[in-house]
Amino acid sequence: MMRTEWHDHDWQLIHAAPQSPSLHMALDDVLTHEVGAGHRKPTVRIWEWASPAVVIGRFQSLRNEVDAEAAQRHGIEVVRRISGGGAMFIEPGNTITYSIYAPLSLIKDMSFQQAYAFMDAWVIEALGGLGIKAWYQPLNDITSEGGKIAGAAQAHRGGAVLHHVTMAYDIDAAKMLDVLRIGREKLSDKGTTSAAKRVDPLRSQTGLPRAAVIERMIATFRRLHGLTDDTLRADELARAEALAQTRFGSATWLADVP
Amino acid sequence: MHGEYKMPGGKLVVIDLDVRDGRLAHVQLSGDFFLEPDSALRTIDAALEGQPADMDDAGLARRIRDALAPDVMMYGISPEAIAVAVRRALQGEHLA
Repeated sequence: MMRTEWHDHDWQLIHAAPQSPSLHMALDDVLTHEVGAGHRKPTVRIWEWASPAVVIGRFQSLRNEVDAEAAQRHGIEVVRRISGGGAMFIEPGNTITYSIYAPLSLIKDMSFQQAYAFMDAWVIEALGGLGIKAWYQPLNDITSEGGKIAGAAQAHRGGAVLHHVTMAYDIDAAKMLDVLRIGREKLSDKGTTSAAKRVDPLRSQTGLPRAAVIERMIATFRRLHGLTDDTLRADELARAEALAQTRFGSATWLADVP
Repeated sequence: MHGEYKMPGGKLVVIDLDVRDGRLAHVQLSGDFFLEPDSALRTIDAALEGQPADMDDAGLARRIRDALAPDVMMYGISPEAIAVAVRRALQGEHLA
């Protein structure tokens, strides 16, 4: 396998109407496989959320991470994604989430640390254009002087890498702390005891509407790497909907690490 | 029993387990780390299951390392960090 560059690929953009949390999990699975198998060109997908969610990492313990009773009380669906990393608290309109599905050749011979920073260099540039001095903080955070902006996760599947990121646009920190169990050990080397203080959302930093931030991000990717507007194929959506039902919406998958 | 260890420069490593007849039982590793392939999680749990509860950290780390295929990739977690989380669970450091 030869190392490839961004410009060696014909990047496609998918930005669909709001979808359910379990369908988002399934779409990441399906589209990673499609790119890995060569059935789809490398793709960027911007997520729109139909409903609030907590998305836990592949290896996180459901009961250790989530207060199920609080989640239910707030009407928040809890789902497990296929990549590692930490829990994300999602409310529609409060986060900007995107996925990049790329052939593994794009990050060939890179360390994990290099691969994370490489996949998000365009976002650092986009944020710079919005007046935010942001940088990559290993292992998997995008941060700024004000605090953390985003968390990334990667998974390798069948010849492709999935790189997805959730950025905080706005945040209801009180509700987040009600639903997520954030232990003291987790914060032990973060220099603060307040989980809420760790996040500095884009809304306060840019003063721009969420859609405008997304527009600027897309424009930056397009300028740097090229980007063609695309849509989900009917067969991709059908497979994702089936998986959302049978796997990603199932109690078995959610409690895979109970 | 529950133990947590934030690996310096890494991620949170969590162990839940019981002790039966002096051996580790029902071992469950979890956390916000990265493992490829994801099946390595079960391999690590299985490697720890049944090990003597008085085994030292180096011994536990070696058991984990020996059980993992050479192509397994760990990011933000290591066999040594898992061993620390096991010891913390056994010592009853409830930090969660």
